[in-house]
Amino acid sequence: MNPAVNQAAHVSEQYWRQKSGLKLKRLLSWTTIVLVLVISWRAAEIRPTAFFEPSAVASVIAFLRGLFPPDLSPSFLRVVGAAALQTLAIAIAGTALSIVIGMPLGMLATPTLWQRGVLVAGERPGASKLLLAGLSRATRALLGLLRAIPDLVWGLLFVVAVGLGSLAGTLALAVSYAGVLGRVYADVFEDVDQQALEALHATGATRTQVFLFAVWPQAAASISAYTLYSFECCVRAASVLGFIGAGGIGYEINISMRLFEYGQVLTLVAMLLGLVAATDAASRFIRRRLRANAPAGSLAHQRVEDEENPRPRRIFTSQVKRRVAPAVLTIVIAAGFYFVGFLDLVSADSGVLTRSARFVAKMFPPELDPVFLRSLMVPLVQTIGISVMGTLIGVFIGAALALPATSTVVFGEDDESGRRFFLKRSARRVVYYSARLVLNILRSIPELIWVLVCVLAVGLGPFAGTLAIGLHTGGVLGKLYAETLEEVPARPIEALRAAGARPLQILLWGVWPQARAMLVSYTVLRWDFNLRVATVLGLVGGGGLGQSIYNNIQLGFYPRVSTLIAIIYILVLVTNWLGDKLRPQRVAL
Amino acid sequence: MIYSLKDVCKSYGTRNGAVRALEGLTFDVQKGERVALLGPSGAGKTTLFRLFNATLRPSSGGLRFDGRDLTVMSGRDLRSTRRRIGTIYQQPHLVPSLSALQNTLCGRLGSWSLIHTVRNIVRPNQSDNKQAIAALESVGLADKQNARADELSGGQQQRLTIARVLMQDPEVILADEPFASLDPALTETVGLLLINLVTNGKRTLVATMHDVELAVRLFPRIIGIRHGHIVFDKPAVRVDHEAIRALYAGEQVTNAARLDSENWPEAAKNESSREPSCAR
Repeated sequence: MNPAVNQAAHVSEQYWRQKSGLKLKRLLSWTTIVLVLVISWRAAEIRPTAFFEPSAVASVIAFLRGLFPPDLSPSFLRVVGAAALQTLAIAIAGTALSIVIGMPLGMLATPTLWQRGVLVAGERPGASKLLLAGLSRATRALLGLLRAIPDLVWGLLFVVAVGLGSLAGTLALAVSYAGVLGRVYADVFEDVDQQALEALHATGATRTQVFLFAVWPQAAASISAYTLYSFECCVRAASVLGFIGAGGIGYEINISMRLFEYGQVLTLVAMLLGLVAATDAASRFIRRRLRANAPAGSLAHQRVEDEENPRPRRIFTSQVKRRVAPAVLTIVIAAGFYFVGFLDLVSADSGVLTRSARFVAKMFPPELDPVFLRSLMVPLVQTIGISVMGTLIGVFIGAALALPATSTVVFGEDDESGRRFFLKRSARRVVYYSARLVLNILRSIPELIWVLVCVLAVGLGPFAGTLAIGLHTGGVLGKLYAETLEEVPARPIEALRAAGARPLQILLWGVWPQARAMLVSYTVLRWDFNLRVATVLGLVGGGGLGQSIYNNIQLGFYPRVSTLIAIIYILVLVTNWLGDKLRPQRVAL
Repeated sequence: MIYSLKDVCKSYGTRNGAVRALEGLTFDVQKGERVALLGPSGAGKTTLFRLFNATLRPSSGGLRFDGRDLTVMSGRDLRSTRRRIGTIYQQPHLVPSLSALQNTLCGRLGSWSLIHTVRNIVRPNQSDNKQAIAALESVGLADKQNARADELSGGQQQRLTIARVLMQDPEVILADEPFASLDPALTETVGLLLINLVTNGKRTLVATMHDVELAVRLFPRIIGIRHGHIVFDKPAVRVDHEAIRALYAGEQVTNAARLDSENWPEAAKNESSREPSCAR
């Protein structure tokens, strides 16, 4: 046969093989999706009929009625205030500790300082170089472990180790956010401009000097911004930690819920939302100021805009800032440590240290009995099912609320003036703001509180946990979806509108193709996050692995607890990997 | 003899296999000499500089600095050697968020103890400051001492790196295309500044250049490098048109060129994982 024909035949054969391979792949992935959904549905024990059972309806109505009027008696308000202060103290002390732990770990985990790049390339190959590189990698893995275990599980462990109260909550936050901050710090240190490092390294500076003079000055602005952001997260987490007896607002909510004092619950939840909103606002304020006085290269990009918007005024004059601000910060942090009862830990005779040492010793070796391991299959599948179904419910809620909450969709067309158009515009405004309000409420209330509410409606078990995740996720995803839709590039849409496309057509042909990758990414990331949440819902009756952890801790089977923690760690590693695979490539978040 | 090279090779491991940046370089540089390295982009000049300032190691061959073997040095020894060698980079390599004064002080880091370093962050040492200001004055930047490095113009940044080298007070100055970002007037100023630094005969100057005419005018000795090999090594008075044409003839961008000029840190990262031999 003539070689050209031969080649053509070969190519076409390859084409067909590829095409049938593609078909098979598509078939396989659809089968997998259906299978996952069916198993998740079963595992999460979804029972839509549960909503319509008379008892469920009655208890929900009783709950809603009980919420009003909120309990505003002076004696109760004092309790609320004290609880809020305690939550704040836990968050402050926890953040401070997590910085103290996370900073050295983050430095150690920075690859450019120890593993590769300009600082390492010229070193003599040898044992010390390998040792440092290995230590750096090990630190990175340790940070991953600290992060993978949910803060509530850390909380449970510390409650056993140091006893009920805010000290346990503080330590839980310190450990789990040390993992978060350490990783963030390492990434920031890694991202600084390498040229300056190289230059200082070449003058004979030590690693410490290069870090102090080249890395730190470039990283400082981002470091403080991320630390503040982490403090916001700590306030949220601290208010929930009370559910497992670690003090603060969560503790009070749990008690009032169990006493059916729904009026108190409303006051407490309002306080919680206020506290979170206030810290968010304060932190955003400080962050904006930091950016305004920012060092680092970010200024170079901003200079153009700066001519139109002059820099905001500084909060303090530099003199005051230098003297007073650190003093205030020190006092606040010291007060935080005092309120959470840190003195008990420091004064060694309280026995806290020996007690925790004994507890840690009791956790090893982990229980590996096959019967026990097999018994974990059910809660494991249940946890995954809860996360999948919960995320799916969240997607539906989010998608339904995202469109009316997208300003470019709602206010997109230019209305003319006149009375009729005034009414139309007002109607649009009502739709937009109510959608945003619902999303905000769904998002601001933590999953664990939603579990308590859902338990009232559908009873204890995985279905309540699934609903709780769905409600919270709906709020989060709805906001993210709306923001994504608003940021879709406007020119293609302009062109479609000019071509006479109708709103629905614009949505399908202009907005969706541009936003799709982002939307899928956010959803997959959220599922990844929800899986971690699903492991702790059981602590308040939402099913899954959390239930096993809680039961085994209550019964004192500590070796089993360490097995469960290892399983959670592996589960999180697998989902991280899977999440990276599922996310569309070339999307920067 | 300040530098002595014997059959020096350097190769980087990349995704597409090993790339040889330098192959079998053998030459000496005497104390107090002024040497210009000429050659097309990607010839290996920047890699050679990194070997010279001891931030890279040769893959094979012998490299001595002032009689001491650079290939076996490590730790404190290596750092104190680096302290004696000042580098002026093609891009300014400054810390963008530090002031001009602080960037100048950075030149002195190699001779500070850890305690002195930490103390200097809290309260700068007055005698250090005085020296740094003097260094800034001699490059004409005294009025900019409190400006952030990234607020300076390109020419000012280049002069700031020279101030940093002045502060370091090294025995050897390596300048990697020091005039690349300067206009003709500044080239003259900075060029004279560099030459003045080394005319007392104690300091050695090695510079890479693109401007052949300038190189011949300022440097007594010229070395031509192409594809990691030495093409010629002769006194400036004997460098003729023919030699220059041969050096730059039919130049095209090769893999090594891209590697050498832009992707160095990337290549170095790969290098640590896999170091191929430099067999010829």
